[in-house]
Amino acid sequence: MDYFVSTVIFTGIALIGVLGVYLITGLTGLFSLGQAAFMAIGGYVSAVLIRNYSVPVVPAVVLAIAAAMLAALLVGLPTVRLRRDYISLVTLGFGEAIVALLNNSANITGGAMGISGIPQLTTLPVVLVSVVVCLGLVILYKNSKYGRQCLALRSDELAAKSMGINVYRLKLITFLFAGALTGYSGVLFGFYTTYLEPAAFNWIISAEWTIIVFVGGVNSLTGTVLATILLTGLPEFLRFASEWRVAIYCVIVLLIVNYRTAGIMGEHELSPKTLRRLFGKTKGAPR
Amino acid sequence: MSLLEVRNLTKSFGGVRAVDDFSFGAEQGEIVGIIGPNGAGKTTAFNLVTGVYPLDRGSILLEGKELAGKEQFEITRSGIGRTFQNIRLFKGLSVLENVMTAADPYSQYGLFSLFTLGAAFRRREREVRAAAGEYLSLVGLEKYADEKPSNLPYGLQRKLEIARALATEPKVLLLDEPAAGLNPSEVREFIGLVGELRERFGFAVLVIEHRMEVIMTLCSRIYVLNFGKLLATGTPAEVRANREVTEAYIGKEDGSCSV
Amino acid sequence: MLVQNILNGISLGSVYALIAVGFALIFNVLKFSNFSQGGVMTVTAYAGYVASRYLSDRLDSLALFAAVLAAAALSGAVIAAAVERLAFRRLRRTKSEPVYYFISSITMGILLENLVTIYASSNFYSYPRFFTTSAVPLFGVNVAVTDMMMFALSIASLLALLFILHRTKIGLGIRAACFDVNTVQLMGMNPDFLVTTALMISGALGGVSGVFLGMNYTLYPQLGQMVVKGFVASVLGGLGSIHGAVIGAVLLGVLEIFFISWVGAGWAPVFVFIVMLAFLLVRPRGIAGIIVQEKA
Repeated sequence: MDYFVSTVIFTGIALIGVLGVYLITGLTGLFSLGQAAFMAIGGYVSAVLIRNYSVPVVPAVVLAIAAAMLAALLVGLPTVRLRRDYISLVTLGFGEAIVALLNNSANITGGAMGISGIPQLTTLPVVLVSVVVCLGLVILYKNSKYGRQCLALRSDELAAKSMGINVYRLKLITFLFAGALTGYSGVLFGFYTTYLEPAAFNWIISAEWTIIVFVGGVNSLTGTVLATILLTGLPEFLRFASEWRVAIYCVIVLLIVNYRTAGIMGEHELSPKTLRRLFGKTKGAPR
Repeated sequence: MSLLEVRNLTKSFGGVRAVDDFSFGAEQGEIVGIIGPNGAGKTTAFNLVTGVYPLDRGSILLEGKELAGKEQFEITRSGIGRTFQNIRLFKGLSVLENVMTAADPYSQYGLFSLFTLGAAFRRREREVRAAAGEYLSLVGLEKYADEKPSNLPYGLQRKLEIARALATEPKVLLLDEPAAGLNPSEVREFIGLVGELRERFGFAVLVIEHRMEVIMTLCSRIYVLNFGKLLATGTPAEVRANREVTEAYIGKEDGSCSV
Repeated sequence: MLVQNILNGISLGSVYALIAVGFALIFNVLKFSNFSQGGVMTVTAYAGYVASRYLSDRLDSLALFAAVLAAAALSGAVIAAAVERLAFRRLRRTKSEPVYYFISSITMGILLENLVTIYASSNFYSYPRFFTTSAVPLFGVNVAVTDMMMFALSIASLLALLFILHRTKIGLGIRAACFDVNTVQLMGMNPDFLVTTALMISGALGGVSGVFLGMNYTLYPQLGQMVVKGFVASVLGGLGSIHGAVIGAVLLGVLEIFFISWVGAGWAPVFVFIVMLAFLLVRPRGIAGIIVQEKA
């Protein structure tokens, strides 16, 4: 049972982080290979504040999220004006720079050895509530002027600009929102594992999250949620085959990307409309 | 003061002078045509006016305000809307959402109002949705509101581009070969539509077209471009009678050819 | 000290150049960043190690070195061809967008790295000493023989590549495929063959660079993550330019060495990142690339 709870918590934390990637890559079409860095910032700032400076929990969490957003601003400002091909490189470099920074600030962050003794504040209810709230915020964002304009600029940036959309500002706002979400997932992560180390936040993690979004169907939020559960939860359950876990995961992803390129959900989204159609049809089926 | 006054538009790409000292303009409620052989620089002129390319030289005055050098989205919000020669609809959005998105830049609510489901957000969303629906009705696409644009037949996609451009609340509407690929009855419908829209909204329209039917019927004034330079300008009758224009399109009359 | 750093930087840069060129080649032909190259590099580095263990009794010094390189290059070519078949062939058939190739390639890279981890069980291995003399005085500093070898061989490999691309029929085909990989079919060439060949070339180059990296550092399963250097070098040089990739790689190597000697190996990545960012903002097209203006 404990094991099941732990899996749910990890999946929930990952989901919040992946939501950040969904916003940036799925909604706005930007490829960021440095999202893990925001998770690191969120986790480390909250841990250091609570552990070293005895800051109370709520302000520490708020400051950690703010720090992640500040970092997102610093990276985002130059990035949103760059060509699409470069964004992955700059975000990757940023991520590695953050990891290097964490490795080298041993006096504050414990360097490569990491930081331990973080209080365990993340419980199942906390994670579940967080997931519901974050998912709700992202759904709202998607169905508002922000989401629409992001999808527009993803489809055709030039046409979007010609329709009056300030693409730079929009990319930046999305980047900040994603940074906040991912930073928060880092906070939850640190408060669950009670231990953080820089090596856990490299670009491979960011790449894996991006892969999850694509496997779910880059156009579908529902797909992102399902894929996170599948690709994060499943490996945990496959723990018995631990050596081959990652290899099996990769094979699953390769199969989906190659044979169902649109992702698990493709274009479909679970919404009141589609639910009505699914159930309405069966109800109203002619005799 | 004219509504739109473009002076001395000049743009080179490497060694090619795409647009050479081209000046044109439009008054409120006017429909102006820009014609010329392929490669004459017509679309480039549109791209310069809407800020897609930076100008080498020239000035673009909308109601007296200089637009040259501004960002594309600033120019659009100042009142210049457009459609594209190669249809550029937003594939990831539905037909209705395509139009809503063009109105979204004018929406004032912020993230706070959004996340707290505040009144400003809800009200504006209703407004935008209703307005977009109306624009769709104006062009006859209200039935397709939830369709994906790529599922629409070509002619309807062109109409959607117009509805989307309308949502940007333009003072000047730039149409780039809007009748390309339309069959004759669609062309006639289109001509009627443009006339109606002009009546209703009172904006100026600049049309690039190869279909002379459209130009001659709709436009009160025509500019003829050739190799980036202004070749002739005048009313449709004047331009039709202009020998240089005919030569640019078809070639010189050769007396030795007799069939 | 300055000279030492420059020479070290050039030597490191020449290794990066092999990665970057293979990377740039695939970017040109298939229009995506092939991150599976890292996984291929890891496998070939280990393959080279296996070869060196097997052959160390029969061959020595230069011959052993050559054999290891040959084994690595060959295995690189073979594995890259397999990667094409498994990860990219189907995407090409269904005419998928470049981003899906990217995802497929990263996943493949992670898979390869993981397979190596399973078989090598995270132990650190290292190559034997290939050469008896370790350093040779040059320009007043001691230059490691291995560094000189790497530099010379990198140049040789790159020249070989240029020869293939510009003086052979296959090379012409590959260059044509860079413009439009589908149209080459109309010209009577087999696109599958061309794509596979391009990948095999990049795999062979990756193989050689894998051995060099294994010599410079130790052999560990995450060695393949050096492919990022190739990516950075390609972008600095201008995405789409092979010459630019070489220049970008050497520049990156020199920058890294300088920053390492200046602020230490820990802080160097941060400074390199800042320089890279500044460079991209000032010159978005890279050193030798071109920017194509989008038409409306």
